[in-house]
Formats: sequence, structure tokens, C-alpha cells
Amino acid sequence: MCQKHTEIAQNPSHFEGTAEELETSKTIQANYADYTKGMKFFDPHIHMTSRTTDDYTALIDAGVVAIIEPAFWLGQPRTGLASFKDYFSSLVGWERFRSSQFGIKHYCTIGLNSREANNEALAEQVMEILPLFLYKEGVVGVGEIGFDDQTAAEEKYYRLQLELSKEAGLPVQVHTPHRDKKKGTELSMAIALEHGIDPSMVIIDHNNEETVESVLEQGFWAAFTIYPFTKMGNERMVEIVKKYGSERIMVNSAADWGISDPLAVPKTAALMKIKGISDEDIRLVTYQNAIDAFAQSGQINVVDFETPQVIDQSLKFNGNTVLRGGQIPRIDKNSLIIS
Amino acid sequence: MSFSEQLFEKIKTHASPKEISWIEAKSAGSLQALQTAFVAAPRFISKTIIQSTDSINDVDINNWTLDRLVRVYFLTKFDSSDRETYTKSLDTLFETAENNEAVALISALPFLAFPDYWMLRATDAVRSNIGLIFDAIAFQNPFPMQYFSELAWNQLVLKCIFNDKPIHRIQGLSERANQELANSISYLAHERWAAGRTIPAQAWRLVSKFMNEAIFADICTLFVSQNLHDQIAATLVCTETDFSPAKEELNKHTELLNKTFNWTMLEG
Repeated sequence: MCQKHTEIAQNPSHFEGTAEELETSKTIQANYADYTKGMKFFDPHIHMTSRTTDDYTALIDAGVVAIIEPAFWLGQPRTGLASFKDYFSSLVGWERFRSSQFGIKHYCTIGLNSREANNEALAEQVMEILPLFLYKEGVVGVGEIGFDDQTAAEEKYYRLQLELSKEAGLPVQVHTPHRDKKKGTELSMAIALEHGIDPSMVIIDHNNEETVESVLEQGFWAAFTIYPFTKMGNERMVEIVKKYGSERIMVNSAADWGISDPLAVPKTAALMKIKGISDEDIRLVTYQNAIDAFAQSGQINVVDFETPQVIDQSLKFNGNTVLRGGQIPRIDKNSLIIS
Repeated sequence: MSFSEQLFEKIKTHASPKEISWIEAKSAGSLQALQTAFVAAPRFISKTIIQSTDSINDVDINNWTLDRLVRVYFLTKFDSSDRETYTKSLDTLFETAENNEAVALISALPFLAFPDYWMLRATDAVRSNIGLIFDAIAFQNPFPMQYFSELAWNQLVLKCIFNDKPIHRIQGLSERANQELANSISYLAHERWAAGRTIPAQAWRLVSKFMNEAIFADICTLFVSQNLHDQIAATLVCTETDFSPAKEELNKHTELLNKTFNWTMLEG
């Protein structure tokens, strides 16, 4: 929406910023990282299972030191419980390990996603194994759960999982729907309150200009997904921070198997810097707020990613010690020779 | 004193009173309570590093974290009187294990009842590409030495060599050396050399007793290597072996002959 500047020149939208800012942002495309030097980032929503090692390298290079991978669907529905079990296992197993090879601390949230909640026979079985995973180390919340089509089944499993989160003392990461978003968001919040959950334990995700005010007013965390075409653009994000400040607001990439950008958080930080947002506000929305929200799980120890990586020679990936000397081995992408 | 009691004694020397009372409360509980306690241990138990010079049930627990030791202790409290219930409850833990849980489960294999039943879990750990899980079966663990077939044993040792891991930390390394393994090391060296790569010099300690013409040719290659570690390995193999051509070869290398070498020098 309204991202083509040529089309809006006559009638700029309220979230485009000044003409001067726009000009600056257009001239620094190539070296945005110059604006984020020394910053570190926490991406509280990214599906690394669907991403490559190139992405991991790009993330650590851009300053992303820790991430949260919410459990979601895989692009097509699973047909049996074992697929769910193996998926949850991979989030606390192989993917966590893979991430560690690049010096990135990997956390996850575990839950039954809204789409697959509609297969009730399977959903029942998934609910039974969720407690086995929710109490594991590094599981920082129940998520991502909530509404998609806003069906009765989605509501049923959303409510059941809210109860699980209460029992486990874990924050909740709430996915809000693409369609009829405002209504779905309001309903998600109302149900959470009805279950007696403190809004400070709930992160409402995929907000936009239409939902943010109510989310913040009611005391929930407001997460924004910077995702091309379907969710927020980062120019709009800058305007949100200008308008609402940095309290309880956080940015994520939700990068997955779709056309998405794992560097959405650092790129948004750069754009905020260019457009005059203070370093402290940038730090809060791209790093600290996400930590504060999810650390309520008791499962985040910032020492794990704020101090330089301890080089552990026992951590090997296919025979390569990725962390040797604290350096990630690099492949020269332009080299014809592979050795 | 049972192994379980020995583990608890060791825990008591590293845990706080609050941690000890949590462990005592949980270890007296039902099967399900034990399962949950196993999973939840890091929420109540620190990751203090254990200092220990003695082994328990031949398991060297030095440098383990306290939560790992506590998890292993919980596993020794599972009632094994009914085989099916016992194996099923442990299988659930294996199938849903997070990385640190997997490490604790693999470390606990020497303490579990029905050792044959756990063979696939043990060999799957050898197949793991997650370094910490592989290490939990390879090092400070007597299970492979005691129960692995020759084939499984050789896979373990070869994967260590392949991944540049410290083979001297494998329990039973010299006791279970065999001809097949020696041959495989020779083949691996040929592949690596053809690619302009090397194998860790200490791998050759496994061929001394299984020398033949083919391996002897490799040792001669090591003598002319630019790497001093290869030369030391060649010298040590020729000193240890009964293979007479190796003794003759050794006498030709007077510059190495009178030096004092041992395999420890190659363990770095």
C-alpha cells in the first residue's frame, strides 16, 4: 500500500515522512549498514528453518545476535502428529544448533498455529504433546497462536493454549490475521483478557497503522512485521515510531519460505537512523523491548549473546568448526574454484 | 553404594541446599514427575561445572554441568521393574529431546537397564551432526567400548578422525583397535592425500598392531612428510610394531631415532 512514491507524489500519505527524508533514504540504498555500525539487533520472529546458511551469515554480519523462531505451519498442512513432533524437536534441536554455528543465539516459541488448528482431530493430538516442549530450555513463549480465518476451531485452540501459557508462566506470541485484521486483533486481545492474562505477557504481532493504537492503549506489546507487499514496509514503520514512540513496540522480519527479508530489522534500524529517530529509540524497538517481553519466560540470559562467543572446539558442523577463532569461514561467492 | 547414590553424593558437593531439596523432592516422585523434572531441571539447577577426578560406573563426569549430572541422576531413578513401561517413558524423552537433554540422555546410557535396547539411540548419536550430541557418546562414555559391534565402533572412531576430533578421549581406544579400522584409516589417508589434505597424525596410533605392506607404505609416506607430527607418528608406529620392514625403515631415520616421542605430543 502506498509504497510507490511516483504514484503518491501528488498526495503523500501520512506515513511517508518529509520530502527531504525520502530523498536521503533513496540515495543510501547500497550502504545502509554504515548507519547501523556498532548496533546489535534481536529479531523476535523469524522462521530460520526455511532459510539458508547465507542468511545466517548475513544476519550476524548485520548485527543480529539473537532470534526467536516461532512454531508455525510449513506452507502446507501436516498430516500426522509425528510431523509436528519432529518439527518442534527441530526447533530446539537441529535449528538451534545450526544457528549457534554462526554465533547467533536461537530461541523459539512453541504452539499450534491457527491454520492447522482447523484440523481438529490432529489438533487434539498436538495439544497433548505441547507441554512436553513448552518447558524446555530456550522456549520463550507459546506461539505463534491466534486467529487466521477466525473460525470456531481456531478460537478453541487459542483459548486452550492461553491456559497452557498461564500454567507455564510463559509469554504469548499472537499471530493476527491477514484478512479482517482489526477485528481479529481486537478479538485476540479480548479473549486473552477474559482468560485473566496480564497484557504485559502478550505480544500482539503483525500490527499496522489500524491496530497499533488499541494494542498499546490496552497494555499489550505491539510487534510489527516488516515484510514486503503483504505486511508493513519500513518507511511506514518509521512513521509509527515517530508517532507512538518506542514503548512496548518491537520490529521483526517474520522471514520464512515466502518472499521476505531476514535483514528487515537492521534495515529498519538504518532507515530510522537516517530519518532522525534517536539511537535509544532504535535500540528499544529493534533490540531491548523484544528481550524485555520474552525474558519474562526466565529463559533469556543476555550474557549468552552480549558477550563475545566462547570458541568451543567441540561445536562442529559437518566437520567444520565454524566458530574457530571467532570467525565464520566464508565462501567467496564469485570464485569459480570450490575447495 | 549404588551408582545412583554415588551420583547423588557428587551432586551434593556442587549443589546449593535449595537445589538439593528440589532434587530430593522430585526424585521421590512418580514416573511422570521424574520425566517432568528431567525436562525442567535447568529451571531449578545451575550450570556449575563439576570437578571430579574419579569416575562413577566408568563414566568420567569431570567438566559436566551440574544440570547434566542431575538429569542423569533422575534417569537412574526410573523404575526398571517393568521393562515396557521403563523403555517407553525413556523413549518419550529421547524422541522429544532438546539438545542439552539429548546430551544428558546419551551420557546416561551406561546407567540404563537393558543396554541392548538402547543400541539404536547410541548409534544414532554417532550419526548426529550436532557436535555436542556426538561428543556425548564419543567421549567420557564407556557404552561404545562395552557394547558396540566392531562395525559401530569403527564408525565412531572414523567419524572422530574425519571431523578432527580428539580420538584419545574415546574410552577403550587402544583396547578395541582392530585390523578393519587400521585399513580404513589407511584408505581415509589415501583419499585425503589425493585431495591435497591430511589426517590428524595421532590416528596412526591405531595401526601399530595391524601393520601390513599397504599400511607400511603409508608410514613411509609419513616419514617424508613436511609435518613433524607425521614424522613423530611414523617413528612411534615403527617403534611399537613387530613388522620387521618397519624396524629397518626406522633405522634409516637417524635424526628421529634418538628422540623421545609419545602419542600425547600429538593429542593437541
